[in-house]
Amino acid sequence: MKILNVYRSEPDSDVKKLVEIVTEGREATEFKLYGGEVDYDKLVDMVFEADKTVCWW
Amino acid sequence: MSKKVCFLYKNPDYVVDGMRSALGLSVENNYAFGAVLCKMDKLDEHNMENLDWIRDMEGEVFSTLPENCETNGLTPITLEELGQKLREMDFIIPFGTK
Amino acid sequence: MAKSLGIFVTNPDNMQHILGVTKAAKAKGAKVKVFFTWMGTKLSKDPAFPQLVEMADDVSICVDSYKNMGYEVSDVPTGLTPDKMATQAQHGAIIEGYDRYLTL
Repeated sequence: MKILNVYRSEPDSDVKKLVEIVTEGREATEFKLYGGEVDYDKLVDMVFEADKTVCWW
Repeated sequence: MSKKVCFLYKNPDYVVDGMRSALGLSVENNYAFGAVLCKMDKLDEHNMENLDWIRDMEGEVFSTLPENCETNGLTPITLEELGQKLREMDFIIPFGTK
Repeated sequence: MAKSLGIFVTNPDNMQHILGVTKAAKAKGAKVKVFFTWMGTKLSKDPAFPQLVEMADDVSICVDSYKNMGYEVSDVPTGLTPDKMATQAQHGAIIEGYDRYLTL
Protein backbone atom coordinates (compact mmCIF):
# COMPACT_ATOMS: atom_id res chain seq x y z
CA MET A 1 0.00 0.00 0.00
CA LYS A 2 1.60 3.24 -1.19
CA ILE A 3 -0.11 6.40 0.03
CA LEU A 4 0.30 9.88 -1.40
CA ASN A 5 -0.58 12.72 0.97
CA VAL A 6 -1.35 15.96 -0.86
CA TYR A 7 -1.48 19.11 1.25
CA ARG A 8 -3.60 22.02 0.06
CA SER A 9 -2.25 24.17 2.91
CA GLU A 10 0.22 23.85 5.78
CA PRO A 11 -0.91 20.77 7.75
CA ASP A 12 -2.06 21.49 11.32
CA SER A 13 -1.49 19.23 14.31
CA ASP A 14 -4.67 17.17 13.68
CA VAL A 15 -3.67 16.45 10.08
CA LYS A 16 -0.09 15.61 11.07
CA LYS A 17 -1.34 13.14 13.68
CA LEU A 18 -3.81 11.47 11.29
CA VAL A 19 -1.18 11.18 8.56
CA GLU A 20 1.26 9.65 11.06
CA ILE A 21 -1.26 6.96 12.05
CA VAL A 22 -2.59 6.26 8.55
CA THR A 23 0.88 5.90 7.02
CA GLU A 24 2.50 3.92 9.85
CA GLY A 25 4.23 0.87 8.37
CA ARG A 26 3.23 1.86 4.85
CA GLU A 27 5.14 3.50 2.05
CA ALA A 28 4.16 7.17 1.87
CA THR A 29 4.99 10.17 -0.28
CA GLU A 30 3.81 13.77 -0.09
CA PHE A 31 3.13 16.70 -2.38
CA LYS A 32 2.47 20.33 -1.46
CA LEU A 33 -0.05 22.42 -3.37
CA TYR A 34 0.90 25.55 -1.44
CA GLY A 35 3.94 27.77 -1.10
CA GLY A 36 5.14 28.02 -4.67
CA GLU A 37 4.62 27.00 -8.26
CA VAL A 38 2.95 23.61 -8.60
CA ASP A 39 4.32 20.96 -10.96
CA TYR A 40 1.03 19.33 -11.97
CA ASP A 41 2.80 16.94 -14.30
CA LYS A 42 4.75 15.54 -11.37
CA LEU A 43 1.63 15.47 -9.17
CA VAL A 44 -0.29 13.39 -11.72
CA ASP A 45 2.62 10.97 -12.04
CA MET A 46 2.68 10.60 -8.25
CA VAL A 47 -1.10 10.07 -8.09
CA PHE A 48 -0.89 7.25 -10.62
CA GLU A 49 2.15 5.70 -8.91
CA ALA A 50 0.36 5.62 -5.53
CA ASP A 51 -2.37 3.15 -4.59
CA LYS A 52 -4.29 5.82 -2.75
CA THR A 53 -4.18 9.62 -2.56
CA VAL A 54 -5.48 11.74 0.31
CA CYS A 55 -5.86 15.47 -0.37
CA TRP A 56 -5.76 17.14 3.02
CA TRP A 57 -7.20 20.64 3.46
CA MET B 1 -18.18 -3.59 -5.09
CA SER B 2 -18.90 -1.58 -1.94
CA LYS B 3 -16.18 0.81 -0.78
CA LYS B 4 -15.42 2.15 2.67
CA VAL B 5 -15.32 5.93 2.65
CA CYS B 6 -14.73 8.45 5.42
CA PHE B 7 -15.43 12.16 5.06
CA LEU B 8 -13.61 14.56 7.38
CA TYR B 9 -15.04 17.97 8.29
CA LYS B 10 -13.01 20.77 9.78
CA ASN B 11 -15.21 23.77 8.91
CA PRO B 12 -18.75 24.09 10.34
CA ASP B 13 -20.02 25.61 7.08
CA TYR B 14 -19.31 22.33 5.29
CA VAL B 15 -20.55 19.73 7.78
CA VAL B 16 -24.19 19.49 6.76
CA ASP B 17 -23.57 19.26 3.03
CA GLY B 18 -20.66 16.93 3.63
CA MET B 19 -23.03 14.62 5.51
CA ARG B 20 -25.34 14.79 2.50
CA SER B 21 -22.45 13.66 0.30
CA ALA B 22 -21.79 10.79 2.71
CA LEU B 23 -25.43 9.80 2.52
CA GLY B 24 -25.22 10.00 -1.27
CA LEU B 25 -22.54 7.29 -1.22
CA SER B 26 -24.48 5.21 1.33
CA VAL B 27 -27.45 4.96 -0.98
CA GLU B 28 -25.05 3.83 -3.73
CA ASN B 29 -24.26 0.80 -1.54
CA ASN B 30 -21.01 2.05 -0.07
CA TYR B 31 -20.10 2.19 3.62
CA ALA B 32 -19.96 5.92 4.34
CA PHE B 33 -18.62 7.47 7.52
CA GLY B 34 -18.00 11.04 8.63
CA ALA B 35 -15.91 12.65 11.34
CA VAL B 36 -16.43 16.20 12.58
CA LEU B 37 -13.23 17.85 13.85
CA CYS B 38 -14.72 21.31 14.46
CA LYS B 39 -17.47 22.72 16.63
CA MET B 40 -20.71 22.51 14.66
CA ASP B 41 -24.22 23.97 14.93
CA LYS B 42 -27.19 21.98 16.12
CA LEU B 43 -28.59 19.88 13.29
CA ASP B 44 -32.16 20.62 12.20
CA GLU B 45 -34.75 17.89 11.90
CA HIS B 46 -34.02 17.22 8.23
CA ASN B 47 -30.30 16.77 8.85
CA MET B 48 -30.93 14.62 11.93
CA GLU B 49 -32.91 12.38 9.58
CA ASN B 50 -29.92 12.28 7.23
CA LEU B 51 -27.73 11.22 10.18
CA ASP B 52 -30.21 8.46 11.06
CA TRP B 53 -30.24 7.34 7.45
CA ILE B 54 -26.43 7.12 7.31
CA ARG B 55 -26.62 4.90 10.41
CA ASP B 56 -29.39 2.79 8.90
CA MET B 57 -27.04 2.15 5.95
CA GLU B 58 -24.32 0.83 8.32
CA GLY B 59 -22.41 4.10 8.39
CA GLU B 60 -21.66 6.44 11.29
CA VAL B 61 -20.79 10.06 12.00
CA PHE B 62 -18.15 10.58 14.67
CA SER B 63 -16.78 13.65 16.38
CA THR B 64 -13.59 14.34 18.29
CA LEU B 65 -15.40 17.17 20.13
CA PRO B 66 -17.59 16.06 23.07
CA GLU B 67 -19.92 19.07 22.63
CA ASN B 68 -20.93 17.86 19.14
CA CYS B 69 -21.74 14.45 20.60
CA GLU B 70 -23.92 16.05 23.27
CA THR B 71 -25.67 18.50 20.93
CA ASN B 72 -26.20 16.27 17.90
CA GLY B 73 -25.81 12.72 19.16
CA LEU B 74 -22.63 12.09 17.17
CA THR B 75 -20.48 9.16 18.24
CA PRO B 76 -17.41 10.14 20.28
CA ILE B 77 -14.00 9.26 18.90
CA THR B 78 -10.45 10.32 19.75
CA LEU B 79 -8.04 11.52 17.10
CA GLU B 80 -5.98 8.36 17.59
CA GLU B 81 -9.04 6.13 17.17
CA LEU B 82 -10.05 8.08 14.08
CA GLY B 83 -6.58 7.58 12.60
CA GLN B 84 -6.88 3.81 13.13
CA LYS B 85 -10.33 3.84 11.51
CA LEU B 86 -8.97 5.76 8.52
CA ARG B 87 -6.42 2.98 7.92
CA GLU B 88 -9.34 0.69 7.00
CA MET B 89 -10.86 3.11 4.50
CA ASP B 90 -10.68 2.82 0.73
CA PHE B 91 -11.20 6.59 0.46
CA ILE B 92 -10.39 9.40 2.89
CA ILE B 93 -12.11 12.65 1.93
CA PRO B 94 -11.16 15.87 3.75
CA PHE B 95 -14.24 17.88 2.72
CA GLY B 96 -14.34 21.59 1.87
CA THR B 97 -11.96 23.96 3.58
CA LYS B 98 -10.55 24.14 7.10
CA MET C 1 -0.25 2.96 -15.60
CA ALA C 2 -3.81 3.49 -14.40
CA LYS C 3 -5.75 5.41 -16.95
CA SER C 4 -8.62 7.18 -15.28
CA LEU C 5 -8.84 9.91 -12.67
CA GLY C 6 -11.89 11.23 -10.83
CA ILE C 7 -11.80 14.62 -9.11
CA PHE C 8 -14.34 15.51 -6.40
CA VAL C 9 -14.44 19.28 -5.91
CA THR C 10 -15.65 20.65 -2.58
CA ASN C 11 -13.45 23.75 -2.21
CA PRO C 12 -14.31 26.95 -4.13
CA ASP C 13 -10.69 28.12 -4.15
CA ASN C 14 -9.10 25.33 -6.18
CA MET C 15 -9.85 26.13 -9.84
CA GLN C 16 -6.17 26.56 -10.67
CA HIS C 17 -5.37 23.11 -9.25
CA ILE C 18 -8.33 21.46 -11.02
CA LEU C 19 -7.24 22.92 -14.36
CA GLY C 20 -3.59 22.05 -13.78
CA VAL C 21 -4.27 18.44 -12.80
CA THR C 22 -6.80 17.90 -15.59
CA LYS C 23 -4.47 19.30 -18.24
CA ALA C 24 -1.54 17.17 -17.03
CA ALA C 25 -3.66 14.01 -16.77
CA LYS C 26 -5.13 14.47 -20.23
CA ALA C 27 -1.62 14.98 -21.65
CA LYS C 28 -0.75 11.53 -20.23
CA GLY C 29 -3.74 9.95 -21.93
CA ALA C 30 -5.90 9.56 -18.82
CA LYS C 31 -9.68 9.79 -18.77
CA VAL C 32 -10.76 12.57 -16.38
CA LYS C 33 -14.13 13.07 -14.70
CA VAL C 34 -14.80 16.08 -12.45
CA PHE C 35 -17.78 16.47 -10.11
CA PHE C 36 -18.47 19.69 -8.19
CA THR C 37 -20.52 19.80 -5.00
CA TRP C 38 -21.60 22.30 -2.34
CA MET C 39 -19.47 25.50 -2.45
CA GLY C 40 -17.41 23.88 -5.20
CA THR C 41 -20.36 24.55 -7.55
CA LYS C 42 -19.47 28.26 -7.38
CA LEU C 43 -16.59 27.39 -9.69
CA SER C 44 -19.11 26.73 -12.47
CA LYS C 45 -19.19 30.55 -12.75
CA ASP C 46 -15.41 30.83 -13.01
CA PRO C 47 -14.33 32.24 -16.41
CA ALA C 48 -12.11 29.15 -16.87
CA PHE C 49 -14.98 26.67 -16.30
CA PRO C 50 -15.84 26.25 -20.03
CA GLN C 51 -12.16 25.51 -20.68
CA LEU C 52 -12.27 22.77 -18.05
CA VAL C 53 -15.40 21.26 -19.62
CA GLU C 54 -13.60 21.25 -22.94
CA MET C 55 -10.50 19.52 -21.54
CA ALA C 56 -12.06 16.89 -19.26
CA ASP C 57 -13.97 13.83 -20.48
CA ASP C 58 -16.89 14.42 -18.14
CA VAL C 59 -17.85 17.39 -15.94
CA SER C 60 -20.98 17.57 -13.81
CA ILE C 61 -22.24 19.51 -10.80
CA CYS C 62 -24.59 18.77 -7.91
CA VAL C 63 -27.78 20.61 -8.83
CA ASP C 64 -29.05 20.77 -5.23
CA SER C 65 -25.80 22.41 -4.14
CA TYR C 66 -26.01 24.82 -7.07
CA LYS C 67 -29.51 25.85 -5.96
CA ASN C 68 -28.28 26.25 -2.38
CA MET C 69 -25.60 28.62 -3.65
CA GLY C 70 -28.42 30.85 -4.92
CA TYR C 71 -28.34 29.98 -8.63
CA GLU C 72 -31.36 29.15 -10.78
CA VAL C 73 -31.41 25.60 -12.15
CA SER C 74 -32.41 27.03 -15.52
CA ASP C 75 -29.15 29.01 -15.52
CA VAL C 76 -27.02 26.16 -16.89
CA PRO C 77 -23.29 27.00 -16.56
CA THR C 78 -21.54 27.73 -19.85
CA GLY C 79 -20.22 24.52 -21.38
CA LEU C 80 -22.59 22.17 -19.53
CA THR C 81 -25.77 20.57 -20.76
CA PRO C 82 -28.82 20.25 -18.45
CA ASP C 83 -28.18 16.50 -17.94
CA LYS C 84 -24.87 17.40 -16.26
CA MET C 85 -26.80 19.24 -13.54
CA ALA C 86 -26.80 16.03 -11.57
CA THR C 87 -26.83 14.32 -8.16
CA GLN C 88 -24.33 12.79 -5.74
CA ALA C 89 -24.60 9.61 -7.83
CA GLN C 90 -21.89 11.23 -9.98
CA HIS C 91 -19.55 11.00 -6.99
CA GLY C 92 -20.54 7.36 -6.61
CA ALA C 93 -19.61 6.81 -10.24
CA ILE C 94 -16.10 8.16 -9.54
CA ILE C 95 -15.69 6.05 -6.39
CA GLU C 96 -16.75 2.90 -8.19
CA GLY C 97 -15.42 3.33 -11.68
CA TYR C 98 -12.20 5.35 -11.66
CA ASP C 99 -8.66 4.11 -11.06
CA ARG C 100 -7.50 7.12 -9.06
CA TYR C 101 -9.28 9.72 -6.95
CA LEU C 102 -8.55 13.27 -5.85
CA THR C 103 -10.47 15.68 -3.60
CA LEU C 104 -9.82 19.32 -4.44
